[in-house]
Amino acid sequence: MSTAVLLPTGSAMARRRRVFAVILRDFYVLRRSTARIFEVVYWPVIELVVWGYVSVFLQTRQVPAVATTLLGGVLLWQVLFRAHSESSVGFLEDIWSRNLLNVFAAPLAVSEYLTGIIAFGALKLLTGIAIMAGIAFALYGFGIFSLGPALLPFLAVLLTMGWALAIVTFGIILRFGQGAEILAWALAFVFQPFAGVFYPVHVLPPVMQAIAKVVPASYVFEGMRIVLAGGGVPWSNIGIAALLNLLYAAGALWFFARMVAKVRANGGLSRFGE
Amino acid sequence: MAILETRELVKRFRQMTAVDGVSFTVNDGEVVGLLGPNGAGKTTTLHMILGLVTPDSGQVLLFGQDLAAHRAEALSRLNFAAGYVNVPGALTVEENLTTFAHMYAVRRPRQRVSEVVDLLDLRDLRKRRVRLLSSGQQTRVQLAKALLNEPQLLVLDEPTASLDPDVGDRIRELLLRLVREKDQAMLITSHNMREVERMCDRIHFMSDGRIVATGSAAELSAAYEVDNLEEVFLRVARKRTRRDQENLKGAL
Repeated sequence: MSTAVLLPTGSAMARRRRVFAVILRDFYVLRRSTARIFEVVYWPVIELVVWGYVSVFLQTRQVPAVATTLLGGVLLWQVLFRAHSESSVGFLEDIWSRNLLNVFAAPLAVSEYLTGIIAFGALKLLTGIAIMAGIAFALYGFGIFSLGPALLPFLAVLLTMGWALAIVTFGIILRFGQGAEILAWALAFVFQPFAGVFYPVHVLPPVMQAIAKVVPASYVFEGMRIVLAGGGVPWSNIGIAALLNLLYAAGALWFFARMVAKVRANGGLSRFGE
Repeated sequence: MAILETRELVKRFRQMTAVDGVSFTVNDGEVVGLLGPNGAGKTTTLHMILGLVTPDSGQVLLFGQDLAAHRAEALSRLNFAAGYVNVPGALTVEENLTTFAHMYAVRRPRQRVSEVVDLLDLRDLRKRRVRLLSSGQQTRVQLAKALLNEPQLLVLDEPTASLDPDVGDRIRELLLRLVREKDQAMLITSHNMREVERMCDRIHFMSDGRIVATGSAAELSAAYEVDNLEEVFLRVARKRTRRDQENLKGAL
């Protein structure tokens, strides 16, 4: 009987195994798909090359510090964007392959499912970013480590925000179906104008500046410009961003849990088997 | 002992009542069929048992525990396969089964995958991608996935719908053998009346979200004074159609 072949459901080992199952599945999908492997590096590299040479050109026109801030912006934006999109694609794989009912009828907790998807998304993202950082250094002499000790908190803020947006995306797709899948690539861009990726927030009109104050990424990009201009690490900015991120993450988890409850109540989950 | 008990399950989708007070049990080693015309509420009932749909009222007890309160524990001891659900087609048979073995926290995933591969005669196909398999082979993969955790209750929604008669027959043989050897219970929906007659110890006929008749195939045939289950099905389905037509006339 099943109790003999299974680990105790609530044990830490069983929980780890269920998270590992999601990571393993995503790894197999990636390994079997040349297109997906290609995607991990293709768009980041294209963006880096285009923006890199734009910044080289501007630098030849004596626009000060443009090269480093643009390249820093490109690299860090990719962290946020890909944290969101890589995780969202992991969720979409279950919908595209009509596997979602198998997953939701398994003893996998929602938290274990999200952890697995986000963990594998992070592995893909780190691979892509490492390649980009190498290219940025080789082509333009820009070392991402020039951001010094601020680099790690910057990355943490951007990753957390990207994952929070991904969890919101999962919830919207669950609730409204595959028609909403474009959000897997588009949602992060809603925040780009307010995040001040390529320009300081103070150039924005007052209304947009007010919105930027509640976008965690804006504190990272502002902070990046301060660090690259030779200022100290803006720890207070990082602290505000971290607090905002806590709210974003809590809100995203609450929203996803609500959407799961909603689709279980209105039969929307069954629709993914049709 | 009742492995599954549903108590007065009700599910409404907007104005439509999909399931209306469904109560039944499935005991150890028993094969129970849920039959009925399209839209009778069979799949909604199964999905409530699997935790995919939340009942508006009523209760699902699995292994004596409330599903709503002990979801992970209950779901680890059952499994399901359905014609409308796939496993990821880009993965090989073995990769898919390994993934699900981990998802169900099977103690020795490799060994168990190897066992179900042999059980479902999938050894030659284990390195092939699922999307390249025929629908019959894909159904076998689904069933292999459903057996990974040696479920005490196997929930099957039209499991042999896409199979040719030969493969369908072999699958039925296999499932019956499992029930006998492992004392597993099975809850099954099907539109294949001969399959149901052959496999099910007890049958619940559903219509308009309610169980309208219960018994063995022979008892139901006797109660409706017909020769076989197919004729029982037609009686139930046509009674509903006549009522629908009368309602429509009234509305016009």
